[in-house]
Amino acid sequence: MAEKPQPVRVLYCGVCSLPPEYCEFGSDFGKCKPWLIKNVPDLYPHLLQEATEKEADKVADKLQSTGISSGAGDGAASSAPKQEEVKRLPGGKIKKKEKQEVVIEKVVRNKRKCITTVKGLELFGVKLSDASKKLGKKFATGASVVKGPTEKEQIDVQGDIAYDIVEFITETWPDVPETAIFFIEDGRKVPAA
Amino acid sequence: MFKKFSGEDVSAQNQVKASVQRKIRQSIAEEYPGLEPVLDDILPKKSPLIVAKCQNHLNLVLVNNVPLFFSVRDGPYMPTLRLLHQYPNIMKKLQVDRGAIRFVLAGANIMCPGLTSPGGALDEEVGAECPVAIMAEGKQHALAIGFTKMSAKDIKAINKGIGVDNLHYLNDGLWKMERLD
Repeated sequence: MAEKPQPVRVLYCGVCSLPPEYCEFGSDFGKCKPWLIKNVPDLYPHLLQEATEKEADKVADKLQSTGISSGAGDGAASSAPKQEEVKRLPGGKIKKKEKQEVVIEKVVRNKRKCITTVKGLELFGVKLSDASKKLGKKFATGASVVKGPTEKEQIDVQGDIAYDIVEFITETWPDVPETAIFFIEDGRKVPAA
Repeated sequence: MFKKFSGEDVSAQNQVKASVQRKIRQSIAEEYPGLEPVLDDILPKKSPLIVAKCQNHLNLVLVNNVPLFFSVRDGPYMPTLRLLHQYPNIMKKLQVDRGAIRFVLAGANIMCPGLTSPGGALDEEVGAECPVAIMAEGKQHALAIGFTKMSAKDIKAINKGIGVDNLHYLNDGLWKMERLD
């Protein structure tokens, strides 16, 4: 019998599941970096260099800050994470309160059937009952105003119309700019424009 | 093809009868002679072979819930990338240049210039309409599995447009589906 070719054991990145050599083309190279440095340090030599430089910076920073705030105790340690939090909070909250935006989401209902929900049209002064009628007429499907979660009203339209709907909205209601329309894909907000 | 693919797209999976199983084994062995010595390891005769039917005339061959091969419209069976990485030499290989990697990993079809440029490489024997592994310049592993639209000679001669249809690539739906339950 001929010699059996042995299966090659391929190492896959623990973060993005690609073979490590393709991590640099993946969606989140930044997140893969620590894993890569740990597991395949020879593949991306410049990474290692970067990391060591950063380490050095950090150590230097720490030395400095402990020198300054030696009396304050944990001041140096807690300042870094706090800053991040503060940055994030206003971004998320302000957006919700001040920005008018239309959020479009596709909800899969039954394998290949789905519902497209449109939220936030009322923020532009659009009457929801009118809007749902227009949407239903345009796409020849059922469309209704539904009380969504957190007591907000939204429009449910049968079928997947996510891609045509942007054009339709901007055309029928010129007050709504295309930049204010967002899709939700895999739980992330994606601008339509 | 597998850009958006998940367990939900599987409409039915059946354990196939022995005769169909034999047929599948035979056609796989025919398509990939290099796989023959290990075919018993990949598709053990004893364990049940399951064929999952999916939308768009797609069939997946599963063993122990792991997808191993797929086929489109009764076309040739093609290994999944995870399997191909284990046995890299079973398929004919085409190599694209570095600039093309980004697009291929986003699901783009492979264009001729990416194969004929200095970074690419072509296996002269590849005919039209046959499954190939797409390798990349400077990389060790395959990054996609495709179905040639024209023969290698034509790709060289015409050097324009789609050369290979991208069927399955790294990080697409099928890649992410390590197991199907």
